Parts: sequence; C-alpha cells; structure tokens
Amino acid sequence: MTTVLLVDDEKLILRSLEKTLLRAGFDVVTASDCKSGSETFAQNSGSIDIAVLDLNMPSFDGMPKTGAGLDLLANLKEQKSSLPVVILTAYDEVTKAKDAVAGGASAFFVKGREQGLVELIEKILNV
Amino acid sequence: MIDPRKLSQVLYIEDSDEARSLVRRLLSNKYVILEASDPLNGLELAEETDPDLILLDDSLPHMTGSEAATRLKKMLPKTPIVIVSGDLTEGARERALAAGAVGFIPKPIDAAFEEQVDAYLNGKVEVLENAEVYLQAYQQELVERLEGNIRQLSNTVERNKHLLQQNERMFSMLERRHRLLETAARVGQMVTSILAIDDLLKHTVNIICSEFNFYYSGIFLVSEDGSWAVLRAGYAAAGRKMMSENYRLPVDEKSMIGNSILKQQAQIALDVAGQESRFKNPFLPNTRSEMALPLIVQSQALGALTVQSDQLNAFAEDDVTSLQAMADQIAIAINNAQLMHKLEAATSELVRTKTFEAIATATGEAIHWVGNKAAPIPGSIKRVREDIRYLLALAGQLNASQAQNESLAAAVQTVREEAQAQGVDLDQVIAEMSAMKKNRLQALVSAESLFEDLEIAENSAVTILSIKEGLIGPARQRNDEAVSLQEMIAKTVQNMGLPEGVVELTWAEDMPNAFVDERQVEQVFNNLIKNAWEALGQTSAPRIYVNGRRDKDPGFVLVTVKDNGPGIPKDIQEKIWVSFFTTKGGSGGTGLGLSAVMQIVNQHGGSISLESEAGQGATFFVRLPVEK
Repeated sequence: MTTVLLVDDEKLILRSLEKTLLRAGFDVVTASDCKSGSETFAQNSGSIDIAVLDLNMPSFDGMPKTGAGLDLLANLKEQKSSLPVVILTAYDEVTKAKDAVAGGASAFFVKGREQGLVELIEKILNV
Repeated sequence: MIDPRKLSQVLYIEDSDEARSLVRRLLSNKYVILEASDPLNGLELAEETDPDLILLDDSLPHMTGSEAATRLKKMLPKTPIVIVSGDLTEGARERALAAGAVGFIPKPIDAAFEEQVDAYLNGKVEVLENAEVYLQAYQQELVERLEGNIRQLSNTVERNKHLLQQNERMFSMLERRHRLLETAARVGQMVTSILAIDDLLKHTVNIICSEFNFYYSGIFLVSEDGSWAVLRAGYAAAGRKMMSENYRLPVDEKSMIGNSILKQQAQIALDVAGQESRFKNPFLPNTRSEMALPLIVQSQALGALTVQSDQLNAFAEDDVTSLQAMADQIAIAINNAQLMHKLEAATSELVRTKTFEAIATATGEAIHWVGNKAAPIPGSIKRVREDIRYLLALAGQLNASQAQNESLAAAVQTVREEAQAQGVDLDQVIAEMSAMKKNRLQALVSAESLFEDLEIAENSAVTILSIKEGLIGPARQRNDEAVSLQEMIAKTVQNMGLPEGVVELTWAEDMPNAFVDERQVEQVFNNLIKNAWEALGQTSAPRIYVNGRRDKDPGFVLVTVKDNGPGIPKDIQEKIWVSFFTTKGGSGGTGLGLSAVMQIVNQHGGSISLESEAGQGATFFVRLPVEK
C-alpha cells in the first residue's frame, strides 16, 4: 500500500486532503508544521513513499514563514534523497512553486481540485 | 622769607612749553609767574590778574604777538608789555613798539634776561623813532590780516552751508533708504508667510507703489514655454485693466521687461521721452521713468518686476539697489511657491501610488486568503456527493413491501425514481459496492465521514463569511464618551479567560480617561491582547504587560501592550496592518484583527505604532484622545 506524508497547517485543508487520499486508497500520515513533519517522516521513513508539503506554514522554529515548505523539502531530501515530494501552493504562488521544483521537488500542486492531487501522486509513483 | 604778595606779577603768554619752563626757572625766585599758552587765555588771565608786566611771544596761535599787544594795551593801558620774539628780521622791534609794547627782547633769551625784565618792571620804555611810519605799516598789516580773516570766515560759512546741504541730502537719502529697507523687510516677511503666488505678487506691487509713490508697478512671470512674460500683478486701475486683458510681452529685446528677462539684467530708462515706440504703453500714458528688474533664482529668470514713475530721473541708485533686493526676494518666494506646488503634486502622486499599492496588497491578500479558506469545500462536497450516492443505493435496496407504512414505501420509490432522473444508476452502484472488500466499503459508507465533510464545508464557508463582520465592524456609528481604560481593559482581560498571571496590568496614577467609543476600543485591546497571546504559543513563561499613562502629548492617553514572545520580523512589520495578512495559517486568523484595530484607533483621531526586535517581544503603542 502507498503511504503519503501530508503536511499543512490549515486544519480543514489537511483533513479534507487526507480524506481524499484515503478514499483514493492511500495510507496517509499527517503533520501540521516543519518540525512535526520532519519527525513524523523520521519515525515512518521506511514506509513513506511520497511527501506532500504546504509551501507556507510554521517553520522549524514554530514561526510562520513564507516558503517554510522548502525548508522541510530540503530536510526530507537529506533524510532520503530519492523521496518524491509535491509542494502545495495557492494559485498565486506558482512562481515560488516552480522554484521548489527547481530545488528538488517532483512537482507542485495548486490547491483546489483535490482529485487532481490523487492523479498527480499516481503519476509520480507510477501506480 | 619772601612774601609772595609783595612780589611783582609777571604774565607770560607763550605757546612753547620749553620756553615757558625756561622763563619760569629764570624768574620764579623773584616774581610770581603767571602763564598762558595761547593769546585768548592770556587776555582773560591779564584782565583777571592785572599783572605788573606782560611778556608776550611774537608767534602765537590765532593772532600775532603784535595784535595781542594792541588788545592788551587797550585793556590794561598802564601795564607794560614786552614782546619776546624770535623774529629777528629788520623792523621787528619797531613793529612791536608800534603795536603798543614798551620793549622788545629777542630770542633766544640769555643771562641778561632777568635784568631786562627788571628794567621794564622799573619803568623802562623804549622809544620808537619815526613812530608814524611804523604805525601806518602796522595798521596796514592789521587791515590785511583782518581782510584775510573775513575771507576765511566767509569761506567757512560757505563750507558750512555746503555741509548743511550735504547733510540734508544724506538725511533724506537715509530716510528713503530706511523706508526702502522697511518695505523690503515687509516684502521679505510676506515672502515667508504667503505661499499663494498671486496674493504675494498683488501685495508686493501695492506696497512698492504706496511706499515710494511710484505711479505704477507690475510683476510678470515667464510662461511655461519661456516665450512670454505674462502680467500676473499690476497696480491700481491700470493694472486691473491690463490683467483683465491678459497683458503679456514676448521675451525678446523689444521691451524692457523682455530684455531684462533675456539678459537677466536690470533695464533702467530715466527719461522715456523720444523713445515712444519702445516704451509707449496705452495703459500707462504718464510714464516718464521706468525700470525692469529681472526675478532671478539660481541663474534662471522667473519673470520681471516693472516700476514706473511719472517723474523724470525718478530712480536713485539706492532705489534700484533696494528694489532689486526686493525682486530677489520675490523671485525666491515664487520659486518656493512653485517648488511647493510641485512637491504637493509629487506627494499626492506618491500617496496615490501608495494607496494603489496598499489596495493591491490588500486585494491580493484577500484573494489568497479566501482561496485558501475555500480550498477544502469542493473536496468535501465531492465526497458528500459520493457518500450520498452510496447511501441512496443502499436506500434503494429496501424492499417497498417491508416499509413500515405507505409513506415510507413511497419515499423509497421516490429515491429510486429521482436517482434515475439524476443519472445515478443505483443498480450499478450496488454492483460496485458488492465488489468491494468489507472494510473498504465501511470506510466509504460512513455517516461520520459524511457529517465531517459537511462540517468542513460549513466551517470554511463560515470563516469566509465572518470577514464581512470584520470589515464593516469599525464603520459603525461611534458613541464617544469618557471611558476609564483601566476598568475596561481589566474587564476585557477577565472575559478572555487567559491563564492566571499571564497579563500584568499597571496604571499611572494620573492616567486620564479616554474619550472614545467603549465597544470599539474594547475590540482594539481585545485584539491586541489576543494577538499577543497567540504569538506567545511557544514561549515558556508567556507574559503580556499592559501599561497606561498620560502621553507626552497631554491631549492623549498612551496604552502599551507588550509581550515577551518571539517578536515580529522587520520585513512584515508594515504588512501586519494590511487586511487579510495573517501569519497564523491554520489557527483561524482572518487577517483583519490589526487592520481593524488600526482603523478604529485612527477613526478616533489616535495613533497606533509597533516596536519589535527579533527575540525581544513586540510592543504596541496605542494613543487615544483624553476626555476634554
């Protein structure tokens, strides 16, 4: 079974995405900021196949930070360089998301049509 | 001991100090020596003391020894007068005797001097032979000297008259210069106080004409393209007439105004007669003298001042200097006013740009925020739709005959029919479901999940709708009254239910009441304290210090709200005031708190500012008007 690490600080978004992914047949582990995201990954590193990270959320020091998702991206890549990562963005942050892809993310996903994320993950993981 | 009262008195009239001191040494053991250094004092002293003998130097200031001798002889006919003279030319002795002296002692005096004086005291009188001849010559000399004196006197009188005239001229010049300076000062004062160019120019021409009795004065300013000098102020009726006809002159050499601007030099015509083609102005027929002074700032001629008189040669050098000084001041004032105008334009442009920027930022933040909040809604609804599909399919499985009553049987029937109408093939759904493993099916057909998704959609919508309240909240009608901020804030803090000991309130004894809308200002402090508390999430010993006192500006009360949290980074200190900007992410902030706080404080005529260093917490300073 494919396991997805989902990190977002907006509770409703996190839960809604989690449900969509669960329904699509994925296992989902969640976290709400960089620190807990990194820790959660460390604890489940063997089983996590892909990470989906929000772009803007509290950084490792707990302070809200624009682009904190990129910090977590780097952190996770350090833990496992082959890990595919998808960055979640709002529609008006696509430039930053493209930077993220340049910085090692597999893809970015503009929040909205959640089914699209399912399709993206399936495409990346070839399942 | 010699009795000085019995000694003879000898008066010596001599201007040389050495000579007097020599005679004093030679004679003072025998006589009482009276001394005078000039003949006028000598005459006075002689009259007062009636000496026994008068010794008289021949060459004295103001008059000759002979003249003095004649005067003394007349005054004291019995007193012998001896002339002591360095004049050894022929006839000197005779001239002395003719003038009335009894003797003549040539200089330098020698050891015989004492004896000679004794002799004269004892009545020696030298006799002048051919006295007639010498007397005549002496009288002739006197007449000539008298004539000389008269000439000198009349010269002096002439000179005095001339000096007096000069003084009078100087005086009137000074007086005029004084007025010019006063006028220049008045113009100077106006220059600093009037920024409206047209007012300034009008006042200036009025002052110039009324103070100097000039017939006309006007001020021209150069047009935008530099080709015209346009009349902007003119004195009295002629000025008004010219203004109403938009009087202007080309900036060229043909007019004094044009030329003064072109050359940046004063143009002065002290007699305009015979130059009518150049000077004739139908509005000002009586002009006889005219000058045009350029208004120059930083080597640029902004225009020119014209001053005209109905007198010939009306302008003294002083007038030109003072009026040019005035023109310089006017030029500076015009330049200032123009700069001010440009500055205002630039400022309003800047304000406009900033406003647009702020609106764009706020709009961007708003769209971003709404988009974020709305993001879960489609996903939730999609799942709800799926869930309903499965539930309808299950409902359709009910056997109508098993229904408790007819209505329920009809409802089951309706579900089937309507699902059909909606394009939901219930049999196919049932087939799908039958193919699923038990636990997968249970996960999908979950009332809990259904209600959760409805809740997600509802909460998202409610959050979005709550902005409306946040946005229009501060615009309510205000009801200002005297409010004790101490009591109000204490109550607010109590109602917030924060943990014991987090908020510390301190108040200055003389803290005045604020004059504000209590409900709105309560929202201000509620938001600020709530913000501080939320910023303290990761802080081990969270503290919020609220302090109130009278502001340095006594018309305001100052309340500071300080926390010991992580502080607000410099790069977002400006943004925090923008609507919809929030750092709180999922914790539910609308990004309207500080924007509303600022709006409320500003609407009360107060101010709010922030000081924060990373790691040093943040302090908000709220100033509100005090009760009057």
